[in-house]
Amino acid sequence: MAERVTDIGPPKYDKFLPPVIKDNYGKWKYHEILEPGVLMHVAESGAKIFSVRGGSGRLVTTDFIKDVCDLADKFCDGYLRFTSRNNVEFLLTDNSKIAGVKAGMKKLGIPIGATGHSVSNIVHTQGWVHCHTPAIDASGIVKAVMDDLFEYFGSHKLPAQVRIALACCLNMCGAVHCSDIAILGIHRTAPKVNHERLRHLCEIPTTIASCPTGAIRPHPDKNIKSVVINEPRCMYCGNCYTMCPALPVFDAEKGGVALLVGGKVSNSKTPPMFSKLAVPYLPNNPPLWPETVKAIRKILTKYAEGANKWERVGEWVERIGWEKFFEVCDIPFTFQHIDDYRWAYDTYRTSMHFKF
Amino acid sequence: MAVVEHGGKSFEVDEDGFLADLDGWGPEWVDYVKELEGISELKEDHWKVINMLQEYFKKNGIAPMVRILSKVTGFKLKYIYELFPSGPGKGACKMAGLPKPTGCV
Ligand code: SF4
Ligand code: SF4
Repeated sequence: MAERVTDIGPPKYDKFLPPVIKDNYGKWKYHEILEPGVLMHVAESGAKIFSVRGGSGRLVTTDFIKDVCDLADKFCDGYLRFTSRNNVEFLLTDNSKIAGVKAGMKKLGIPIGATGHSVSNIVHTQGWVHCHTPAIDASGIVKAVMDDLFEYFGSHKLPAQVRIALACCLNMCGAVHCSDIAILGIHRTAPKVNHERLRHLCEIPTTIASCPTGAIRPHPDKNIKSVVINEPRCMYCGNCYTMCPALPVFDAEKGGVALLVGGKVSNSKTPPMFSKLAVPYLPNNPPLWPETVKAIRKILTKYAEGANKWERVGEWVERIGWEKFFEVCDIPFTFQHIDDYRWAYDTYRTSMHFKF
Repeated sequence: MAVVEHGGKSFEVDEDGFLADLDGWGPEWVDYVKELEGISELKEDHWKVINMLQEYFKKNGIAPMVRILSKVTGFKLKYIYELFPSGPGKGACKMAGLPKPTGCV
């Protein structure tokens, strides 16, 4: 414990601000998107700051960090930042250096874009790289989807911005529950119970309480300190495995991808919305997840064709109606789409209004 | 699973050094973890926490919430950290031979 330093918090943010931001803090007049990936902010004083935004894999090496630092040293007096979608932004005051930054980014393989009505970076999670509860991978699927949608990253040709997010299990780390298109890892088999180890590894009451459907109860044999799962009640959320390592739920053959659509967080025009189930299951198919990639492209292109300017995916679907959405996107409507969890009643149609 | 030897006894442990077999607990285990935890001397207050955790676990099948641990022992969280530098979970529960804390820790 000697010489231990604690509770010092992060360094204060303003230590790393470019002088022009410090001088004009809270005094900005307007901004313009000069071209995909390049923004200009103009202050009341007339001062300007330019930012060049580029994609990153989020999971990066220290070499990558050093490379972007070198680039920032060369053109931006050492200033850069990361966005809330894990893009990297180079900040500079001299617009004659934008071309240099862009050339440098290209050389490093950093695509320029993610502004305006684009598909920006995918907010994603750990997947098979680091977590123990995933049903799908994160980085792999993200790479496959962004490769396919690359044309939308560095352009502004969509009706509005389309936020894509991925979570590798129902814990939904990140933003899948509130994104235009969400990729979610799901299981389709009940956890297996390791009766032998359970009592050493798990708190049984906590495990029972972790189940949203009440599918877990103590082992009927009083001499066996374990639990049993009522499989017809289990919907494979994997929550019990999070609490109890003796209940592994991953099944390589059965786990896979569910797609959700229509979420948003902003309050512009309409209130924020949760994303809703669009495709209940697509197979886990590494390394390129072609079924998932194809389904997302289909939804995105149908949205791009059908939506009005400024209309987010969720707003578009609500306007045309869900039955129409399933029809134009060619997605079979199944019983899995019908909510059956606790407050499901509010999601049923209590009206004569519908389209044939 | 790894096995550690201490004080003439052997303990089966997981990769985080928690007891893999709850029945294997004994005072020698406390002595072993004490060294790992950087606790120079076991005081009465250490034992008060360990005993409380064990009693609570025996009775309820779970580790107590931190608030309950504090309330029953009368020790504020800050003092619990002084006793067990890694905290009530990684430090005290490990020493008491409770299962490893789970969830998004
Ligand atoms: S979404 Fe689930 S599997 Fe993925 S990082 Fe979060 S907890 Fe782990
Ligand atoms: S997977 Fe989910 S629904 Fe199934 S038993 Fe575990 S907690 Fe309950």
